[in-house]
Amino acid sequence: MMINQLFPSGNDISSILMNLIWLFLFFSILLFFNQKIQIWVYQRNAEKATMKLQFLAEKGKEEALKSIKNFAPENIDIKSQVTSFLDFFTIEPVDKDPFGVLNRLEHILDNRRDRIKLFISQIAPKAGKVEAANVEDIMEAAIALNFIFKIVRHYLLLGKKTKSLMIFIQLDMQLPLIMKIAEAYFKALKTFSSGKPIGDGLGPLVASRLMFGYPKQVIAEDIVCSEVNIENRKVYVIKAEGPGGVVGKPGEAVKRLVELHGGKIARIFMIDAASKLEGETTGEVVEGVGAAIGDPGPEKYKIEEVATKYKIPLDAIICKMDIEEALTTMKKEIAEAADLIVNKIKKAIIERTKEGDIVIVAGIGNTIGIGQ
Amino acid sequence: MNSNKSNKFTLISILLVIIAFILFLLSTFLDQYLFQYTMISKVITFTGLILLIISWAIYFMGLKQIKPQTTENVITVIACKNCDYREERPFMEGDYVFKEIGKCKKCSGTSYIYAIYLVPVKK
Repeated sequence: MMINQLFPSGNDISSILMNLIWLFLFFSILLFFNQKIQIWVYQRNAEKATMKLQFLAEKGKEEALKSIKNFAPENIDIKSQVTSFLDFFTIEPVDKDPFGVLNRLEHILDNRRDRIKLFISQIAPKAGKVEAANVEDIMEAAIALNFIFKIVRHYLLLGKKTKSLMIFIQLDMQLPLIMKIAEAYFKALKTFSSGKPIGDGLGPLVASRLMFGYPKQVIAEDIVCSEVNIENRKVYVIKAEGPGGVVGKPGEAVKRLVELHGGKIARIFMIDAASKLEGETTGEVVEGVGAAIGDPGPEKYKIEEVATKYKIPLDAIICKMDIEEALTTMKKEIAEAADLIVNKIKKAIIERTKEGDIVIVAGIGNTIGIGQ
Repeated sequence: MNSNKSNKFTLISILLVIIAFILFLLSTFLDQYLFQYTMISKVITFTGLILLIISWAIYFMGLKQIKPQTTENVITVIACKNCDYREERPFMEGDYVFKEIGKCKKCSGTSYIYAIYLVPVKK
């Protein structure tokens, strides 16, 4: 009868009183513990996400160790070296005085790339050029996962320490996107270690299709170029040198080609993977104008600057995909879009240029798993 | 990655809460109108409480379920430089697009990897 006494349903005074006590207790909890309950709910979500991120970061480290192990000498303790390198950071240049900021950024990005390459050459000296490039990508993904985990954990602990509802709310609201990015990096690790082409490799794939069978030469850091004849137009096709996971310096390559011809370039076509909006279809091909390149800035700037200097029209062809599709194994829809883009480019070259014109076609992206 | 699994746990938990709520209503109804079923009413209330506890346990089980899905169905498409021969096979370590892989089975020309892509896994 205990429950009946606790929750009385009669019309007598004691029952009414008991019900009033319950009502009072209920409202008291809502009134005084409202924020604590909210904090508890948000904190639980953040803890759950942090646990998952920790798991992903650890797995990422394991994957990096596994791939480095194949090329490492036996007398090196790779575990401690990789663990400490996961905290490797890059300080962005000061932008309070924006003059020359992109040159400074390029210098720092070059430093970063050189340091990672040096680390890999020391820890995995048996790796060839292709394998070293793939290990570099794996390390980048593992560093990103480790960084995401540490940032989320920082805000979780900060929220706990300060008991701030605002910190938890902000963290909770951003978690779906953060988790999406982390999961994309995690899946990318597997793809990088097996050397499969990724969605971002669409640009290099299109360029490869165009330059297939033609002689190639290196014209900038990790960038190859072929001179292709399309309906009596001289077309310079450029892409990152595959099949290792590199993006190269396509901006530098375009700049050199334009300067080499004294600016007498009829058009520059750029092909890249672009993030799709929700509701758009993966593999959808869209045309536009501008420099289609998603680098931190320096390469895009070089292309825009040289195109503006010589008044060269910039045509962009992009293929829509989300971040996960861009970083993981290339989907069939994206591979099929490459063939479609090849035809579109040939048609556009014929329609928008004259015979004897010089054209540049730049396939932008990570060329992992794509040769030439 | 395992958000679907997590959602499943949440749904089961909500379902159990609804069942527990229905049981509480039933128990109240029995208490109010059918006095001979007091014992059954108590059992129903107790079952409802147990269901509530289970629903919480299931909700928190979502925390423990962290396992990545790694199955991929990656296809390598082989083509010939001279003829229209096409062949598909599962991806193998070391494959890359435009890698020359020997002679064509149809015309003895050079065959190469035309494409490598991911196809959806049939469940």
